[in-house]
Amino acid sequence: MNAHIGMAQIAAAKLQHHVIYVSDLQRSTDFYTKLFDLQFSALNHPDSSAAMRLAHMEMHFFSFGFYHHDICLVKHHKLKMDNGSMLHFSLVARDRTAFDAIRQRAKELGIPTRDGRLIASAKALPGGRAFCLQDPDRHWIEIIEEPSK
Amino acid sequence: MTAVSHVPPNVLPPFVQKFAPLLRRKWFRELVLTPPTLTGHRFSNKTEDYGVFKPSWIAHIGQVSIYVQDIARSRRWYERLAGLRHSRTCEEEAHPFKEGWRIRCCYMSAGEHDECLVLVEERDPEGKVTVPSGMSFFHTAFELEGNRLEDVIAFAEQAKQAGFVPNYGPVRHNGEPPLGDGETGGNVACYFYDPDYHNIEFCAAMDTIENYRARYGDTKGSARA
Repeated sequence: MNAHIGMAQIAAAKLQHHVIYVSDLQRSTDFYTKLFDLQFSALNHPDSSAAMRLAHMEMHFFSFGFYHHDICLVKHHKLKMDNGSMLHFSLVARDRTAFDAIRQRAKELGIPTRDGRLIASAKALPGGRAFCLQDPDRHWIEIIEEPSK
Repeated sequence: MTAVSHVPPNVLPPFVQKFAPLLRRKWFRELVLTPPTLTGHRFSNKTEDYGVFKPSWIAHIGQVSIYVQDIARSRRWYERLAGLRHSRTCEEEAHPFKEGWRIRCCYMSAGEHDECLVLVEERDPEGKVTVPSGMSFFHTAFELEGNRLEDVIAFAEQAKQAGFVPNYGPVRHNGEPPLGDGETGGNVACYFYDPDYHNIEFCAAMDTIENYRARYGDTKGSARA
């Protein structure tokens, strides 16, 4: 139960998944699976899903390895995506080895990176690390190694 | 601050929202999927047809930062509906990747997730605040405390009592009546537009790798579409 505000008795516990628009599903699927080792977990298509057919969308689901999906990529077949509603999202590496593996993979794939947190006012990570990069649609992604990991 | 009224093109019109619950009826889904059924293009979207899983290099989503027109307005919404806690609001700072632009950030925390959401007012060099386009992400999802089907139902009722109207749900993203909408993941969910029309999902009971097989065994998705 939530005690810190008056209205909501049942409150949000945590961020669970995030669904971003992309312009080219195959290109982005290649990017996310190669860079983060994400597991493709489902495909919802206008030929498989009534909701997708009505919404003119196609969605690729990816799992981090516990939940059915954690990141989804969606292509809207009628509307154009842009970068005008989200500044960034961050992904927490499983451990130090995974953080280094992602950074090494980014280097191998020729993806430019910048060290540190993206937003200057974001909490510092004493004992942790962060770097940032952009996906093929210029969404900014921050990769974090949490201090406790 | 006076927010500009802008409805992004991906927002469901009220008329469509009214009929969206029909997706919980199998006959309606079959009707919508008649063209691919007749042409032989129809296929299953279910997970077991793809064969996962193993751990990836990522553990979880750490943070999402979204543009808002008015931090105070959005903060109230996330506090009242989602029960998020205000952690801190910072002074203006340089935009991380747009020269001459400025941002102001409000960090919000969930029960088990510190500073998971950042509400960002973005200003161009003339000081004009960005009106969010709505076309960067389809939705972002919070897991509710309790993480059970009943918690989503109770949350939806609690939201209704407080005057919030979902744009979709509660539904369950599978094919099982009475809530199943034929989608994927097994999560029970309801969706709300925040003041800038960001689509926010509140969910629970998503299938995990471990319970997925227990729930469906080796039954192919195509056999239970």
